[in-house]
Amino acid sequence: MFSTIFLFELKRWFKNPAFYIYIAIFFGLSMLMMGSSLGIFDSFKTTTSSNAVANSPIALNGMLNGLSVFIYFLLPSIVGASVYRDFKYNMHSILFSYPFSKWDYLMSKFLSSLTVVIIITLFVGLGAFLASFLPFVNPDLLGPQRIMAYIQSYLIFIIPNLFFYGVIVFSVVTITRNISVGFITVILLLFIQSMISSFTKEADNRYVVALFEPFGSDALSYYTKYWTVYEKNENLLPFTGVVLYNRLIWLSISTLILVVMYRYFSFTQTALSFGKSKNEERITKNNFGGITKINLPEVGFDFSTKQNLKTAWSLSTIDFKFIVKNWVFISIVIVGMLFILISALSAGAFFGTETYPVTWQMLEIPGSTFGLFINILTFLFSGILIHRGATSRMNHLIDVTPTPNWVLLLSKFLAVVKMQIVLLSVIMISGILFQIYKGYFDFEIGHYLYELYAIRLVHFVIWALLAFLIQTLFKNYLLGFFVLLLLSIGLNFLPLMGVEQQIYEFNSDPGFEYSDMNGYGHGLKFYYLYKFYWLALGSVFFSLSLLFWTRGLGQSAKSRFKDASARIKKTVAIPMTLSLIAFLGIGGAIYYQDNIVNENKSGNEAELEAVNWEKKYKKYENKTQPRITDVKIDMNLFPKERNFVANGSYILKNKSNEIIDSIFINHGEKTDVTFKVKTKLVSRDIVYNFDIYRLEQPLKPGDSIKMDFVVKNKPNDFFNDNSPVIYNGTFINNGIFPSIGYSSNSELEDDDVREKYGLKPKDRMANPTDSIARRNTYISSDADWITFETTVSTSDDQIAIAPGYLIKQWKKDGRNYFHYKMDRKMLNFYAFNSGEYEVKKDKWKNVIIEIYYHKGHEYNVGRMISGVKKSLDYYTANFSPYQHKQVRVIEFPRTGGGFAQSFANTIPFSEAIGFIAAVDDEDQNAVDYPFAVTSHEVAHQWWAHQVIGANVQGATLLSESLSEYSSLKVLEHAYGKSQMRKFLKNALDKYLQGRTFEGKKEQPLMLNENQQYIHYNKGSLVLYALSDFIGEKKMNNALKEYIKKVAYQEAPYTNSIELVEELKKATPDSLKYVINDMFETITLYDNRISDVTSKKLPNGKYQVDIQFQVSKYKADATGKRIFKDKQGNTLSFTKKGEKNKLESYPLADYVEIGIFNEQTIKGKKSDKELYLKKLKISKIDNKVTLIVNEKPTEVGVDPYNKLIDTNSDDNRRKL
Amino acid sequence: MKLKINNLSKTYGNGVKALDNLNLEIGSGMFGLLGPNGAGKSSLMRTIATLQKPDSGSIEFDGINVLENQMDLRKVLGYLPQEFGVYPNMSAENLLDYFARLKGISSKKDRNAIVKQVLEVTNLYDVRMKNVNGYSGGMKQRFGIAQLLLNNPKLIIVDEPTAGLDPAERHRFLNVLREIGTNHTVIFSTHIVDDVKELCNEMAILNGGKILNQSTPKAATDTLIGQIWTKIIDRDLLEQNEKEFNIISSNYNQDNTLNVRVYSKEQPNESFVLAQPQLEDVYFVALKNDQ
Repeated sequence: MFSTIFLFELKRWFKNPAFYIYIAIFFGLSMLMMGSSLGIFDSFKTTTSSNAVANSPIALNGMLNGLSVFIYFLLPSIVGASVYRDFKYNMHSILFSYPFSKWDYLMSKFLSSLTVVIIITLFVGLGAFLASFLPFVNPDLLGPQRIMAYIQSYLIFIIPNLFFYGVIVFSVVTITRNISVGFITVILLLFIQSMISSFTKEADNRYVVALFEPFGSDALSYYTKYWTVYEKNENLLPFTGVVLYNRLIWLSISTLILVVMYRYFSFTQTALSFGKSKNEERITKNNFGGITKINLPEVGFDFSTKQNLKTAWSLSTIDFKFIVKNWVFISIVIVGMLFILISALSAGAFFGTETYPVTWQMLEIPGSTFGLFINILTFLFSGILIHRGATSRMNHLIDVTPTPNWVLLLSKFLAVVKMQIVLLSVIMISGILFQIYKGYFDFEIGHYLYELYAIRLVHFVIWALLAFLIQTLFKNYLLGFFVLLLLSIGLNFLPLMGVEQQIYEFNSDPGFEYSDMNGYGHGLKFYYLYKFYWLALGSVFFSLSLLFWTRGLGQSAKSRFKDASARIKKTVAIPMTLSLIAFLGIGGAIYYQDNIVNENKSGNEAELEAVNWEKKYKKYENKTQPRITDVKIDMNLFPKERNFVANGSYILKNKSNEIIDSIFINHGEKTDVTFKVKTKLVSRDIVYNFDIYRLEQPLKPGDSIKMDFVVKNKPNDFFNDNSPVIYNGTFINNGIFPSIGYSSNSELEDDDVREKYGLKPKDRMANPTDSIARRNTYISSDADWITFETTVSTSDDQIAIAPGYLIKQWKKDGRNYFHYKMDRKMLNFYAFNSGEYEVKKDKWKNVIIEIYYHKGHEYNVGRMISGVKKSLDYYTANFSPYQHKQVRVIEFPRTGGGFAQSFANTIPFSEAIGFIAAVDDEDQNAVDYPFAVTSHEVAHQWWAHQVIGANVQGATLLSESLSEYSSLKVLEHAYGKSQMRKFLKNALDKYLQGRTFEGKKEQPLMLNENQQYIHYNKGSLVLYALSDFIGEKKMNNALKEYIKKVAYQEAPYTNSIELVEELKKATPDSLKYVINDMFETITLYDNRISDVTSKKLPNGKYQVDIQFQVSKYKADATGKRIFKDKQGNTLSFTKKGEKNKLESYPLADYVEIGIFNEQTIKGKKSDKELYLKKLKISKIDNKVTLIVNEKPTEVGVDPYNKLIDTNSDDNRRKL
Repeated sequence: MKLKINNLSKTYGNGVKALDNLNLEIGSGMFGLLGPNGAGKSSLMRTIATLQKPDSGSIEFDGINVLENQMDLRKVLGYLPQEFGVYPNMSAENLLDYFARLKGISSKKDRNAIVKQVLEVTNLYDVRMKNVNGYSGGMKQRFGIAQLLLNNPKLIIVDEPTAGLDPAERHRFLNVLREIGTNHTVIFSTHIVDDVKELCNEMAILNGGKILNQSTPKAATDTLIGQIWTKIIDRDLLEQNEKEFNIISSNYNQDNTLNVRVYSKEQPNESFVLAQPQLEDVYFVALKNDQ
């Protein structure tokens, strides 16, 4: 019987056109996605380039699983409906009298429908596979075809996940006999998945999450998180350990659910309903044989438009109640709320320290996930409401009433909008609940309401308008839903196919950002412009829905069109035409502005432009140019009008031995340059803004000329925003001013892309020994050290700040003026800040400390001041004197970026990375990052503003890495070693993750090419470890020596080789290998404890026997592991009973072994070191026996993760 | 208040001619539309009720061109379809209020008054708080009447309302309908001849999309006086009798003999006796003649 039903069901699907439509959709989608990753659209868009191949097992698995998420939405209508259908068409009463067992019936229904879904997913894989045979595939992006990769992905992830989802959806729909419940279940499961994944942000519980996350993606990433490009390209998916356990756990749970469902199901059961009516009562028939006189009361009828609007409103309330009283809706809201609260717990944390739960953050936390759920519910309920009459077969009663179509349509639309309002209020309620939980009582209800309802709502309303059209056109709302889902997500792929302009991407907008300092700024204007544009299209959709609204009997497509055209009357046609005109008008205007008035460059055009720039002007790169020696700027900022006008002058000096006859000026738009001497403009390029002036009197060596310039921004208008000036918190740097000579910054970086355009491969940075490159610092290519003076004016409620010391301050014509002058030479690197600031002043010795902050952001001003003081203490004692008399920290809006930057005596500091941090001094695992960031930036006054590296590889070791090291030391002295662990663990994680995304090649630290994961994260690990190996004092003395040699030097500038030489001098021979490992090569360890026992000795002490493995390897630029040294020596070890061989680079290394017990200080548990020592290790497998005084609870090999280890979790083991 | 239907035709996509150049004129009072299943009754009813459009023809009610001004007709229309459902989990009172809104009754007071009244008329007042989707068949049909009364309609269309009702329920239902029919135009379709006999002052027989006969029940029966003959035969003789006589109906007696009724201007032979014509005979004769 099983096979009869099974085959019957399969045949039924094979005859169903929907089956082939789904296959076509998924096959096409997957082919497009894979094709796009393989570069088939590269002639229309930015060139796809990557070291990682697009069809590596892991990339493939990611893509296939990503597309499977859509397939989950097919489950309710395929798997869920398999049994439900029999009930719907009342087949069950006949079917269930046939002689088959419950088991046959349920299993054949379930397995046949699951088979159908699996067949559909197979076409996803087929699409991806066939995509590699498409024309225009870039062979560099295509790895070898491995069938095993497909098999693994399907057998380990896709099919088990479909089984799990399928079981749940099948059970739920079969029991409740309601397909929408199946949909809601899918949504809930996706919610839960996002929730579980948010736990993995805390690295400590990764294993547990990996074990229980239902889809296995966290289990997979447990092993693959740190895979380098090489490993991604080469390795098959791991199917061991936690991946295996995870799959087994969920397979068992799915089976269990199936069994429970089987036990519950009975052929005679009625649908499970939730919540019975409270007032149950027996109904008896009242025998009214008598004849009643019918005297209907006189009532008034009102068919006016006004009344119709009222009716629409009151009808919408009825539909709205239908949505929200639904227990499935309520459960979505509850789960959504939980999702927000749980995401809030880990959001905004930075080195373990959270921020205060400010309103903008509460609004940001639900993010796009919650938005997607609002959309999904919109799509679903639009369909349910539009077809509600037909579903409950009440449509004919409704359709014969004299209520016009538009009232019915509007009422349903309003109900959906009301639902959206409720869902948005969930964000507000959860946000406020979370704020209360955190003891934060500064509720900005107005801000919540404004953002949710005045800004965000319209976005969902526009989606609802599209949903109404689609759901009106489709008779089957599940199909309509699916089409909408694909549309909404497919739109995101438009740019991948070269459609980049927002006017073509439905309901897209330029976005908006909020900062406490600058509010929503000026961005909202454009947001509303786009939303109005889409709303106009939405109105057209709404009118079309009205025309195609089904009233009365369902009809064929042809007669629906006939009906629709018959319905075109003035009342529909006029608004529809007006909306269409508005849509096309605004769209046209935006297109005109973006493409004709301002040249909008598509990614492809921008590439071509960069190519031409290089081809045309690179020949001038090494042409000797005068250097900027003095800068004077008269900067006028107009925050209210959002404009600036700057008048400036450079003194340009010929520092070379050659005569210079022409000057190359690279500038922005709206820049006028004049020289005090006679010049001739030989070439003006208005595309690249690159002008060449010939000097009538060539500039002799040692001579100078003055160059004046006026720089403005293009005015802002309705469609364009051209000024970097914002209402509050402007932060502009000297990039807006003209620079001298050719700039290689805008050249294309990627070698594959360069090759496509016939350009030679290019190094990101020059070799450290490149003497031409060493003529410039990595900050500036047209100046060495400059004198700097500026007058900045701004509106009367703002303070303007620039490097230098305030000489004079005055008010004129209702504006504030500030005259700053730097008293010594500085780098050609300066910025202007202006805002409504509160100022907190303090002093360290003779140095004035000033913090300029936004009112309300007082929280951490004290910590920053303390950071400045402690930094000055440490740096002056260990490195060299501080060159300025002042340290100023200036807050700028988070919309300007989440960073801080050090200019001479001036540190602009984003509001997002310290000003609202909620530092918990008690928490050992939370770093006081306002303090740490401040000390990093202060350290730059030494490492950048005293020692500045040449524009060669490794330059940022001298600035960023050393600043990280310096601030770590300050942090360690202020807070103790325990804060180091959190910081270093975080640095390790970021470094290991950073290298997995490396687009070109990973470089050793001393040759890094401005790669953040290397110079910040690896840099801090390495320098901290080195100071641990050779001692802090020795390390700092080496740095002091280095500063002495190279501070404030002129060209040729110092490089990383000179620093490393200095460090080598301070390192004993036995540790020289550390320098080689850490600075000169890429070296990683794989250390772990494999066994530990302890016993109490008669003398009361404890003997601890530890077995541990140490394995070291080098990595090449793609991340390939190398275990052999140059002589071909290598180590290997096979543990008894294990197949896998451990390999290692030859060892003569010092590795720390630690033994700990727990101590409780102030009610908090922390480690107490019983033993900590570096032992010399020369083989992989090691055993040591150590004696300690107290009972040990935990041992570790490299327990503080000072060495770089891809799995730092197995370094410690509890006894 | 006259409903005039001229040359109405409708052919469905599958080729079925549901209405075939149909002409009908209906005055006030109860009008019974009699016809077998699939005769086109529902198609006609739905077309009058603005739920579907004919391919050709015209309908006029009380000066309203129904096909052009659907809204105007809907204002005076009460319609009870052959089969309908309701939104689940809504009480009769709430649903009626919902329909009252749809029918344009703007004032809350008016709505409350009329809802109360129609509930009482249909004797649903006691169960007004119950969910309608839990009602029994008869109660649901009465609810259907209640909703159609809300706008005090001039034209009422009820499509096979008595199908599936128990005899008591059917009685009650017909009584209510009759009461309404006294001052409205009520079109009432059924395949049960007794419904028409008991209720209607005018009737038509419809088959294959055409009106076969239009008159009053009384007049229709009267036309057959002296033309209906009956006799009792053995079951085995039926086929032979069918060949010989114009048998319009036959039904079993308890002893496995058959009562056959024959339509004939003259006595077919001596074995037949003259029978009092029934409305049923009219119906069968009309169908027979149409074959």
